[in-house]
Amino acid sequence: MAQAALSLPSQTGGARPAVRSARRIERRRMLLWLVPPIAWFTVFMLVPYALLFYYSLGQAEDMVFTPGLSLRNFARVFTDEPYLGVILKSARIGLMTSVLSAIMAYPLAFCLAFHVRSASLKFVLYLLVIVPWWASYLVKAYAWKTILGTGGILNATLQGLGLTHEPVRLFLYNEFSVVLTLTYIFTPFAVLSIYAQLERVPTSLIEAARNLGASAWEIVFRIVLPISVPGVIAGGIITFSLAFGDFVAPVLVGGPDSLMISNIVINLLGVAFDWPMAAAIGLVIIALGLALISLSGWLEEKTQVRL
Amino acid sequence: MRAFGNHIFVTSLASAVLFFLYAPILVIVIFSFNDSHYTGLPFNGFTLRWYVELFHDRQILTSIWNSVYVGLGVVAISVLFGLPAAIALDRYTFPGKTAFRRIVLLPIVLPGIITGVALLSFYLTVHFRLSLHTIMLGQGTALMCITITEVFARLQQMGKSQTEAAVNLGANEWELFRHVTLPGIASSLFGAMLIAFSISFDEIAVTFLLTGRENTLPMTLWSLLRREVTPEVNAVATLVVLVSVILIVIGMYASRGKNSASYGNH
Amino acid sequence: MTTGIELRDLRKLYDGHGATAWAVDGVNMRIGQGQFVTLLGPSGCGKTTTLRMIAGFETPTSGQILRDGIDITDQPVSDRDMRMVFQDFALFPNMTVAENVAFGLRTRRMKGRFSDAEIRRKVAEHLDLVHLGSHAGKRPHQLSGGQKQRVSLARALVTDPDVVLFDEPLGSLDAHLRKVMQIELIRLHRELNKTFIYVTHDQDEAMAMSDAIAVMNVGKVMQFGTPREIYDRPASRYVASFIGHAHIVDAVVAESRSDGLMVRLGNGEVVSLAQPAKVASGQSVGLMLRAEDLSLARPGEGELHGQVADSLYRGEYIEYVVELTGNAGLVHVHEPTDLPPFAHGAPVALKVNAQKAHVVEA
Repeated sequence: MAQAALSLPSQTGGARPAVRSARRIERRRMLLWLVPPIAWFTVFMLVPYALLFYYSLGQAEDMVFTPGLSLRNFARVFTDEPYLGVILKSARIGLMTSVLSAIMAYPLAFCLAFHVRSASLKFVLYLLVIVPWWASYLVKAYAWKTILGTGGILNATLQGLGLTHEPVRLFLYNEFSVVLTLTYIFTPFAVLSIYAQLERVPTSLIEAARNLGASAWEIVFRIVLPISVPGVIAGGIITFSLAFGDFVAPVLVGGPDSLMISNIVINLLGVAFDWPMAAAIGLVIIALGLALISLSGWLEEKTQVRL
Repeated sequence: MRAFGNHIFVTSLASAVLFFLYAPILVIVIFSFNDSHYTGLPFNGFTLRWYVELFHDRQILTSIWNSVYVGLGVVAISVLFGLPAAIALDRYTFPGKTAFRRIVLLPIVLPGIITGVALLSFYLTVHFRLSLHTIMLGQGTALMCITITEVFARLQQMGKSQTEAAVNLGANEWELFRHVTLPGIASSLFGAMLIAFSISFDEIAVTFLLTGRENTLPMTLWSLLRREVTPEVNAVATLVVLVSVILIVIGMYASRGKNSASYGNH
Repeated sequence: MTTGIELRDLRKLYDGHGATAWAVDGVNMRIGQGQFVTLLGPSGCGKTTTLRMIAGFETPTSGQILRDGIDITDQPVSDRDMRMVFQDFALFPNMTVAENVAFGLRTRRMKGRFSDAEIRRKVAEHLDLVHLGSHAGKRPHQLSGGQKQRVSLARALVTDPDVVLFDEPLGSLDAHLRKVMQIELIRLHRELNKTFIYVTHDQDEAMAMSDAIAVMNVGKVMQFGTPREIYDRPASRYVASFIGHAHIVDAVVAESRSDGLMVRLGNGEVVSLAQPAKVASGQSVGLMLRAEDLSLARPGEGELHGQVADSLYRGEYIEYVVELTGNAGLVHVHEPTDLPPFAHGAPVALKVNAQKAHVVEA
């Protein structure tokens, strides 16, 4: 036993030309997978964004584009009516939408995460939330038009119950109906993102809190909310962006003054043929979007509760 | 024991939210069978008239076909280019990887109209005539992130050991893809294809500015909705909802994971 | 009035995927105030379910849980004032160590009972008790596994409960840390005079710490007694083989006297035992032979004979696997490493410690 010969494999020096370079092969394989998608995104995203920038620096006079190197259009976004105002209004609608849909979504997500025990029932309920999320966007917006309109279900019901004598016009064609419709559209998404956060909360934490004498509200406010809020905010930022850029709801259920920034861009292109202005607004929104992505990344980093 | 709080209180609130989610859709579905020219109460009796009329409407039938055509193209694009991207992101580290991921995900956060404006300026510059194909390219770009993230998530779940085992046993790149990677991701790829098709079938924000003379179904629906609210619109809407729901449910069952279905589709 | 906890015919039906089975099947047990009692058994034996029923996380299908003679079967978890230490620690990730420990003192039901200064003092005191005084401001993710478990312990103890429940608390720690924490728990139990109810599948842990052990299997308590009783006088073959890895050899009682017992093995060899047992002559039994109750000798110098089938160098000792002659069975023997080794296949004799050998049901 004592004489057991332990020898290390001897190092053979010198280059052996027969061996192919693994690194070079690996690199070639990587390029095989990587080049097609990068080419695609270059042609259909980076080049268009660059062109957007090029157009934004020029001027349109009498529907004819003249190239230029002026930042005037960007200045106009912040000085001329109605651009900045509409951007702020869109942001306000987006913010209300994301907050309201989170409030709507929380009870359903909570029930799904904590009160449904059976796995199959959970899957069915999960599908029930997903279905309205994927159901046609246009149809969902249009549905509220039929519900809220002067001849709609809501007014018919109110009149039928004798609560009002003539149709109430307040329901439709204003900012309220836009926010309501957008909230309706984005609630399923909020449910999904909040639910994902609540599922992260380990069962043992809830048991520990109960064991230590906490009431249900104390568990919600001291354990569940603090752990889930960062993810809820991340989901809320996506809701905000989507609602911010919406142009369907303002046209279908909004009033004459509830046009949002996407409607303005469409009008600049289709009616005014002011390309450079549309491009400038587009770039400002892209910048806002990127800032928002970084903000949400930063927020998550900052507030994320490490489990 | 995970449940806490008053069970009845929680479930009734949750049921109320579910009702809020379904009531408007049900209204449309119910009125698509209403025997009246006018969408609203009272309910005059059951009819399939609007569905019959819809199937005689050339404009709608053509746009349905156009949407299917665009959707299939979008699926093809997102598989041909999204799948390699997912594999590359999973297997390799390369300079600019983070930036690449950001760019891929950008269309989710940006308003679809902005993606549309950028692509439109590109098409006009290189003199592409607007057609169903320009829509296809635009949607393909915007929806590629679905395939990439779905497949990437599955690849990450699979881990490296299978790939390493295959390479260790002497598989070449094609054999590795054919016998290990593809079978592993098949269900999530299928799910992603269905989701991409379904979103494309419903897409309007990117499509809006890129449409030429031929319309997709949402564009046709859009013009109908702006003009008038006829029961025929309810019938179209019901069918559109039905189709996307069927596709999504199949897709969900196929990929039966938690990480699906959380993308912006507009 | 009896103080402590009493379980009366406790049962829990578990249904998963259509099939139902008794997770806990008629458990009766009395745990006196201040005792350290361990529920020991393999996974799925019902020990954790029993503990969770005591804590109130699971509702018994039938049976009663009494505390100081009062039925608490339907009492809500938060009213029971029995603190639990979880296997995954269950520390609140959004709170600091000090906030975690203070949690039980700051709930609404405790409102007004302690001033802020008192809470601070108690938290500091209990963090010192578990040697974590300098970590008060840290977050759980900054702690090691052992430190997390100490926080969890301090959090359970700070409200001064009579009963502390432990659900495999050392299960996720490495072997060394487990030993350290065992000593810590014994010290805390001695100092605090609280009832500890402890669940584990690790028999060494159970033996080292407990006043009493309940060995469980398929939802039933197989034996409830002191570690020594369970080790030396296992009530059944199951307990004998689960505790201390005893090897059991089939035998027949040759003679049963009031001061001892003679049993005959399949190969005709006879072993005498110093302890009497309630068995009749001619009855089939299992002879429990533990490695440390046997020693090897040269052929002819012991009661039993066999051949060395394997030898394993264990560092502290050499473990021999000996096959008894006539295929009468396999036994393990621990021998000091400084004795001359027996070769593989060598014929050997076995000396049996008559005081420790024990018979169980066949």
